[in-house]
Amino acid sequence: MAADDVPRRPDQPPAQPRWLGRRLTVRKLATGTGLVAYSWFAASTEPFTGGALLIVLVPGAVIGFLAYGRPPARIPPPQSLDIAGFSYWAITVAVLFEWEAAAFRDNSQWWHPALTDLVDPMLGSHPVKALAILIWLLAGWGLVRR
Amino acid sequence: MVTRVITIVGFAIVILALFVLEYLGRRKDNRIPTLGEWLGFIMRPWPGRFLILLGWLWLGWHYFSR
Repeated sequence: MAADDVPRRPDQPPAQPRWLGRRLTVRKLATGTGLVAYSWFAASTEPFTGGALLIVLVPGAVIGFLAYGRPPARIPPPQSLDIAGFSYWAITVAVLFEWEAAAFRDNSQWWHPALTDLVDPMLGSHPVKALAILIWLLAGWGLVRR
Repeated sequence: MVTRVITIVGFAIVILALFVLEYLGRRKDNRIPTLGEWLGFIMRPWPGRFLILLGWLWLGWHYFSR
């Protein structure tokens, strides 16, 4: 074919076949649907039950297997970190932990609630809990790729 | 009542600060790394990877199992 005769630039990556792109889209759609369905189902479990423990342990086992058994293509981490730049993160995370620890030390009273006590009532709503679980699952996938 | 509001506002400010840092980190020519970059850096050696994944698992257990 004429298109095959056109010389490709050396820096140009080989074009991906169209069928492969379609297959990847279908795979992503199926995975996304599965994750949403799982999150919705997981959100229906009652806290402090075996089911509630399982809905966390199963993704934990899958992520553990993926991380150490079949690691996906990883996003290359930076070779070094700017210490000054990172310090902003370190300070903010430390303040968050300190704020939480202060509430925890006071036994999380009404007048000084811990983050958990503020988040728990929100998780009482089924759609919100499902969304939180979905975000947690996606964060796990994001971490495995790092 | 005032103490409770201060606590909640404190949490809100710190969480907002995390989002601001992520926004700043995504801008060009910035010294602040993104969350993914510094987590990726910590996760380079296997103990760092193990601890971060353990933290993720703990977060799920803490908020969704109990």
